[in-house]
Amino acid sequence: MAMKSASFVSSADLSGLLVRLAEKAELWVPAPEDTAPHRVTFRPFQAGMDLDGHRLPVTSPKKLLFPQGEELLRFRTGRSSSEAAMETVLLEESADPRPTIVFGCRPCDARGFVVFDRAFLQGPFVDPYYKARRDKNLVVSMVCPGPDAACFCGAVGSHPADTQGSDVQMIPVSEGYVLHALTEKGQELVRHLENAPSQAQEQEARHVWESARRSVENVVSLMDSAPHFRKRFADAAFWRLHTERCLSCGVCTFLCPTCYCFTITDETDGVQGQRLRSWDACMFHHFTQEASGHNPRPTKAERFRNRVGHKFSYFAEKHGHPACCGCGRCLRHCPVAMDIRAIVRAMGETEDVHA
Amino acid sequence: MRDEAVTITNQTESSLRIVGFLCNWCSYGGADTAGVCRFRQPPLLRIIRIPCTGRMDPMFVVKALIQGVDGVLVSGCHPKDCHYAVGNFYARRRLELVGRFLPFIGIDPRRFRYTWVSASEGQRWQQVVTEFSALIAALGPNPGFSAHVR
Amino acid sequence: MNTLQSIVASVWDQVDMVLGWQPGYDPLHPVPAFVRDPKDIASLIWNPLCAPNLSVYLAKSFKAPTRGEKKIGILAKGCDSRSLTALIQEGLVDRNRLLIIGLPCPGTVDPDALTSVRTQSGPITDVSFADGMVQLTATDGVERVPLDQVLARRCQRCRHPHPVLYDVLLEEVVPRPVPKDPFAHVKALENQPLEARKAFWLRELERCLRCYACRNACPLCVCQDQCLAESRTPKWVTQKDTVADKFLFHMIHTLHLAGRCTECGECERVCPMKIPIGLLKEKTAHIAMDLWGYESGTDPAAQPPLLSYDASVNGL
Repeated sequence: MAMKSASFVSSADLSGLLVRLAEKAELWVPAPEDTAPHRVTFRPFQAGMDLDGHRLPVTSPKKLLFPQGEELLRFRTGRSSSEAAMETVLLEESADPRPTIVFGCRPCDARGFVVFDRAFLQGPFVDPYYKARRDKNLVVSMVCPGPDAACFCGAVGSHPADTQGSDVQMIPVSEGYVLHALTEKGQELVRHLENAPSQAQEQEARHVWESARRSVENVVSLMDSAPHFRKRFADAAFWRLHTERCLSCGVCTFLCPTCYCFTITDETDGVQGQRLRSWDACMFHHFTQEASGHNPRPTKAERFRNRVGHKFSYFAEKHGHPACCGCGRCLRHCPVAMDIRAIVRAMGETEDVHA
Repeated sequence: MRDEAVTITNQTESSLRIVGFLCNWCSYGGADTAGVCRFRQPPLLRIIRIPCTGRMDPMFVVKALIQGVDGVLVSGCHPKDCHYAVGNFYARRRLELVGRFLPFIGIDPRRFRYTWVSASEGQRWQQVVTEFSALIAALGPNPGFSAHVR
Repeated sequence: MNTLQSIVASVWDQVDMVLGWQPGYDPLHPVPAFVRDPKDIASLIWNPLCAPNLSVYLAKSFKAPTRGEKKIGILAKGCDSRSLTALIQEGLVDRNRLLIIGLPCPGTVDPDALTSVRTQSGPITDVSFADGMVQLTATDGVERVPLDQVLARRCQRCRHPHPVLYDVLLEEVVPRPVPKDPFAHVKALENQPLEARKAFWLRELERCLRCYACRNACPLCVCQDQCLAESRTPKWVTQKDTVADKFLFHMIHTLHLAGRCTECGECERVCPMKIPIGLLKEKTAHIAMDLWGYESGTDPAAQPPLLSYDASVNGL
């Protein structure tokens, strides 16, 4: 937890800080929806907005770097002026994104960006759209008081005070927040804040940090589930049994901070249009629908198996940790409370393997 | 009926658009008859020919209005005279329901009308189009459903 | 006195499987259960937190498989029994294949209402119900709140707390009083000017994610795997993240349910963004009542009005 620079912001000064930050960048904060106050979502900050630090937002901040509908390019067909029979296509790449700041997300939300970075920035092909947004993005996460019944960050190698994925970490103390810069980008922000934390404030911050980390110490780990998954893959009866109540909707994937699957479509309107990248969900029936009509994942049992496999086996073996931050949204907001923790545990626990 | 041309002088009015869904047998024929008899009508209507009003999906009406069309007119055979016997009976139920539903989502129900015009009723067709066009001109452009700014 | 377990045990030889609810990951979230082994009957529970409508598992592509030729037992609250009846009306489910265990319902709890009404803040370890009260045991104490204060919106306006169709009934409870005006919420919106109504829907639907939880949780949306809203040929809705596209999806969903929806409220319950989409279907149900005196899912032999017609000249 050795920090290069630290700062203190009092509770009273927080909204002033947010106003200042919002002048320089598009600032996203967790705030209750006006007409659904029980639903906290990440939204562009507006003066007077009430920040919510108590409830885990229902949506994740991934929309900021991975918009639900992202224009990749624009096109317009026309007629060539020199050759009458020739059609021309005018392509226009989409504009440079603005700088953004995510302020006040939880460590689990920030850890989602770690998974996105692996998928979009590592490997032979870098996603230029994601990179452009990520380079101009700053993440300020807030240490979380601890898990609720649906949380399981402790089971996937994280904890409520995790710094992974964050540029600045905020620790709530009695009169406000202690901010610790974690990266160069984070230093840029913290450097411009006037007040340094007092020794007492730093001590309180350390205490809050430690007790947050310890709140998940006794959670059973799901980190080494890949071998269990491989052994369980062909057990069709297991998957049917455990996915029986699933409705095959997209709540889990769309709310998940680490889910990054997308589709690309051309949306035309007469002679012009846009090529769009938009969110897709492996839980949807048509996710693997082929043009021939064949669907290799025709039932929800196969689709859920793929979801578990991707997160806890394929990605985990390639990158050393599951594509899961343990935020619990998939469980908390699932219409029938599908519990991915229970299924991953059951993969290893159940004795007999059915064919 | 009135035979004088309805002049559109207002720039806004001339860009108004009404989409008309006309059944092939009665109403499209009626519109043809109106044309043959040179009955003048305001030029706001754009006709889509469907085999029967039984083809009408309430979504045709809703989508058109959401996308910003200023008016939707549906016309078919008179009840009991449907070329396919019962198509317009089904249409009657669907269209009455969607017409009552529109105001609930904030669309002015006067922008949608369904009526019955037979192939020989050229003059009645002229009257329907003239009246509906005047109503839409009075209502003005449909603001559509653009994104709400928080 | 008949308990749930004793009733299920008494009909066990007639069924291959019983659809019910069992405890979930915490006391506030019972989950659908598919009981195929008699020793699992003991795990079945019934209380005002048993919100999911089990009839969703009967007619869709993912309908729960059974081994034999016997019946499927299913627990049904009032609203659930209306869904079952509507499925029978449309021939999507064979009445003779069902053994309906009817549950007179005091109403279901909205977990968000519970969170806002309670004064304690510790995690809830147990929930129990008695005498119209909800008793919450948390790590920082016990408190009781009236059930009426934390009911889901769909239950506040419920006209059929007593099942309309069943083979066997759990013990009678005092029926909930039928609300004076079940369409009060619809009318409240209609009393506002036209522009305000449009602004309401634009504001509410903007946070829609198009996750399709509402569609998939609806027992009557049996074509969910071939849904028009996801079709590219023809393309009704684009993949753009605009409120107009979200609106179009909800119009397709609502209009395809017009004259069919039984107002079970699952669509609204499962929405992760808490959008009151039940209102849209309540409006179409109200229109169906006005025009044809029709109430979906109350008479298994009735024909839905939009699947039929009136052959008179001036009829509707």
